[in-house]
Amino acid sequence: MLRIFLQRCLSAIPVLFLVVLFTFILIRLAPGGPFDDERAVPPQVLENLNKRYHLDDPIHVQFFDYVKHLLQGDFGPSFKYPSRTVTEVIYAGIPVTLELSLYAFLVALVFGITSGVIASLKPNTLQDYVPMSAAMIGLCLPSFVLGPLLILVFGIQLDWLPVSGWGVTPGDKILPSITLGAGYAAYLARLSRGGMLETLSQDYIRTARAKGLSGWRVVFHHALRGALAPVVSFAGPAVAGLLSGSFVVETIYQIPGLGRFYLQAAFNRDYTMILGMTILFAFLIIICNLLADLLLLWLNPKLRGRK
Amino acid sequence: MKNFGIVVALLLAMVVLHGCGEKKLNNVEYGIRNQILYYANGDEPKSVDPHLITGTVENNIIINLFEGLTSKDAKTLEARPGVAESWTISEDGRVYRFKLRENARWSNGDPLTAEDFVYSWRRALNPRLPNAYAYMMFYIEGAEAFYKGENTDFASVGVKAISPHELEVTLKAPAHFFLQLLDHHSYYPVHGPTLEKFGGVEDPTSRWALPENFVGNGPFVLKRWEINKVVELDKNPHYWDADVVRLQAVHFLPIDDQQAEERAFRSKQVHLTNTPQMDIEKIQVYRKDRPEVLRVIPTYASYYYEFNVQRKPFDDARVRKAFALAIERDLLVKNVTKGGEVPAYNFVPPDPEGYTPQIYWREDVEEARRLLAEAGFPNGEGFPVLTLLYNTHDNHHKVAVAIQQMLKKNLNVNIQLENKEWKVYLAARKNVEHDIARAGWLGDYLDPSNFFDILRSYAGNNNTNWKNPRYDELMNTIEATSDPARRNELFEEANRILAEEMPVLPLYFFVDINLVDTSVKGWYDNVMHFHPLKYVYLEASEP
Amino acid sequence: MSTEAVDFDLNRLEKGRSLWQDAFSRLKKNTLAMGGLVFLLLLIVLAVLTPWIAPYSYEEQNLMLGATPPSAEHWFGTDIFGRDQLTRILYGSRISLMVGFIATAVALCIGVTWGTIAGYIGGRVDALMMRFVDILYALPFTIFIILLTVVFGRSMLLLFLAIGAVEWLTMARIVRGQVMAIKHQEFIEAAVAMGMSRPRIMFKHVAPNVLGPIIIYTTLTIPSVILLESFLSFLGLGIQAPQSSWGSLISYGVETMEEYPWLLIFPALTLSMTLFALNFLGDGLRDALDPRVSKD
Repeated sequence: MLRIFLQRCLSAIPVLFLVVLFTFILIRLAPGGPFDDERAVPPQVLENLNKRYHLDDPIHVQFFDYVKHLLQGDFGPSFKYPSRTVTEVIYAGIPVTLELSLYAFLVALVFGITSGVIASLKPNTLQDYVPMSAAMIGLCLPSFVLGPLLILVFGIQLDWLPVSGWGVTPGDKILPSITLGAGYAAYLARLSRGGMLETLSQDYIRTARAKGLSGWRVVFHHALRGALAPVVSFAGPAVAGLLSGSFVVETIYQIPGLGRFYLQAAFNRDYTMILGMTILFAFLIIICNLLADLLLLWLNPKLRGRK
Repeated sequence: MKNFGIVVALLLAMVVLHGCGEKKLNNVEYGIRNQILYYANGDEPKSVDPHLITGTVENNIIINLFEGLTSKDAKTLEARPGVAESWTISEDGRVYRFKLRENARWSNGDPLTAEDFVYSWRRALNPRLPNAYAYMMFYIEGAEAFYKGENTDFASVGVKAISPHELEVTLKAPAHFFLQLLDHHSYYPVHGPTLEKFGGVEDPTSRWALPENFVGNGPFVLKRWEINKVVELDKNPHYWDADVVRLQAVHFLPIDDQQAEERAFRSKQVHLTNTPQMDIEKIQVYRKDRPEVLRVIPTYASYYYEFNVQRKPFDDARVRKAFALAIERDLLVKNVTKGGEVPAYNFVPPDPEGYTPQIYWREDVEEARRLLAEAGFPNGEGFPVLTLLYNTHDNHHKVAVAIQQMLKKNLNVNIQLENKEWKVYLAARKNVEHDIARAGWLGDYLDPSNFFDILRSYAGNNNTNWKNPRYDELMNTIEATSDPARRNELFEEANRILAEEMPVLPLYFFVDINLVDTSVKGWYDNVMHFHPLKYVYLEASEP
Repeated sequence: MSTEAVDFDLNRLEKGRSLWQDAFSRLKKNTLAMGGLVFLLLLIVLAVLTPWIAPYSYEEQNLMLGATPPSAEHWFGTDIFGRDQLTRILYGSRISLMVGFIATAVALCIGVTWGTIAGYIGGRVDALMMRFVDILYALPFTIFIILLTVVFGRSMLLLFLAIGAVEWLTMARIVRGQVMAIKHQEFIEAAVAMGMSRPRIMFKHVAPNVLGPIIIYTTLTIPSVILLESFLSFLGLGIQAPQSSWGSLISYGVETMEEYPWLLIFPALTLSMTLFALNFLGDGLRDALDPRVSKD
């Protein structure tokens, strides 16, 4: 396992490099520059700006300059917010994003897996339909519907919870976490229910049951372990998706997280900001996928023995 | 089960701990008690450096952080004394001599002198500083040549400090709106020693305009700035007129979503919203249920469509005119935009200070059909399918969808809609790749030249390919003319050319739609979207 | 796993036809699944017939009428332009179902192939293939879409490809995980021992045994793809006003949900019912295709 871990860490270097390279090319190909605005910027001003940010250098020079600075830990200045550096913006947003993703993931895990497991124990009965239908709400009502709906009910009608903000007013973290987690809960519920059904019908579980082990023991000691493989495979990208894809929820609740900044950076053609965020997210994705793969190995010891 | 139990318990604990906290007063009530204004400001500001900013979001903030030689009356928009307590104007209207207040100070206590203005304007015109609004200063003698590098000696520019408290400004031609212009952010003073400390005058990435370093001269100072969260201003005790400032602090919240903004207002998180647009359907609700907080303000701004006059058949003025005549603007503003926008039959909005353009045409479907037939498309037959480009936004979408149908119904012409992401749309417009494109223009100061100038043949914002030498000549004449009556005549002639040629299709004049809590006093509506907070205060309204 | 089971599996998989026939007869007995299937078929038929059966025009406006609640003339009410909402949902289903099914099919094809190969071969090939997936995950999707719109303009084909291009990644990961989990099971090793070629084993024996998670993930992907379409049309890819899709109807409906709730309720309900139908059918299919079930 340690070898796999080290190998993967090493392979992260070329992955990150390629991500930087491709992103660099992609954003330069996209039409519109960072300084375009509704009012045409006078040509002279544009020239000065391009000179100041070295956008008038040949593209490969710009790329190597960027990589050189990157290796020194410098993500460069933001084009859109001239007095801020990309590092500063990321630094401000990352605790919020991590916290939001963590809570949302917990919501998804708890509601998703619990309802999936409960449902799988008595398939095609009421005990299956009720929790599964509940878990599916998050899919029927995507976050851009669920968010405003929750706000309307709990924020405005009942006035129990704040309608926006993050860490400003007590309780303002509850609705965003639920909104973001709900969609993933549905996936986890269905995947874990499917996994459970599959494992429960396998011989070793039958054997365990035949040996007279109690239902719950079987579920939690034997079945769940085997059933979680698809869940874990999904969870890696899901966590990454939570981290980078939370812009809808962040916009609805006006949360100062990175998801919103990432999307805005793309819209603003804030080259350095896009690159900085992409690198950060690439890094997080690699970590999440690595953790998921290690977890997969741990869940299925068979894989470890061979190769 | 054990693990789940722990997770559930943790989650419950989280909820309970949050819920148990003492319920804070909402921002509106808290603000009234402590004279703190909570202000929904539309977006995260780029910067608060007056020589770098370009947008309204930034402008809303910095009009409170700095003060120019003059300021404006929030009700009438007339020029009022600012840092200058008085001034004299020479007979030919070119030389202004300002007397600066002896008690004008920077927010760190340093005295504010005429030299500071010379230093600041020199910086604003520094060709190496990417100041997109430098052209606002080209009315000053020699400023344009200095900015363009034709003259590197700043002494050639018409700005001189006669004494520490006397400043003389010479214009290249008389401009009756110059006093108003002095309140524009490109003319604001900046604090030299602070700038020099953080990398000099030319560096746009300088950190001088961040809270820890900031020095200004307005009624408020920059206190705290958390990215995408809040920009916090505190009252400036060194401000010369600090006695009249009643607000202790202002929190600008960068709420960038119309729906979220309205919800924040409804749940009393903000005292007011100062973004130009609001969700269309919500306007109706407020109009009916809470008219006292809804402010609908006509503004000095125009919403229009640009033709690409090189694209056939828009090279034919009759086709352009047919389009303009076929659109039912009353229906559009009453049933689609619904905010009380004013139907426009001119490109230039009426200016409360003087010029009111004449109207040469109105909707006339019969005439539109006739013109189209004359141009070779009887009943729209043979008319190519052209596209209408707009940037993705709910309101633009609604207008475009309605207009598409009007053109189909009235002219039997099919137009394809094409929504694009903002920068793609900008790039397409700039290169005039569109057939028709949505556009909007907001006046920087009250003068019709603000609008007319855009359509000069080679102006950077003329995205129509329309070139008219007579029109350009008129614009040049206007620039050199100081007599207001004569200027209005010339403007009218230009307006007539636009009515005949129709390079742009006027739709309506914008209104700003703001929500302002009844506790906000001293907030006045005006066409320039100008809301200084110097005189604003909060007072609980009678129940 | 007992030896009988191995034989059983091999026999089944060798005789593909009987597997599918068996599965279908089992599926027929599952009322919920059949209900889902009937609903989906009905929806497809309605979508195909829309131009002939739609009560109104999807684009013609009646600005004086504006938004009205459901009534005898307009069963699902009208939108702010006075357009009949039932008609717009019907027309929307043409686009949304097409996007949902085709884009998901694209994702399915690439994802299953990629994941099976990576998971089965393993080692360096697996590492390379999965690092490639990581890279694609990390690239900024928004910029990618914007570029597509600029280079190729607005086309439906592009929309399917763009969505497929992102959705296959997670599919590949799930399939790979499953394949890795079963590739050491006896019946696969038996097939290897019998000297079957690798591709044959992969697609005849391995892939069918990971069908469960694939079906589940697919039935969940279809609705999320339908919603993703509305984000892409925001960026200038996909449908163009005044056309409608479920995603765009829902996102416009949200904005006016307090004033005109029917503009949200009906399209959201349509999507939800489709989602449930898909999942019932998916569960039914999964049960029907599970080789072990018939042993009971």
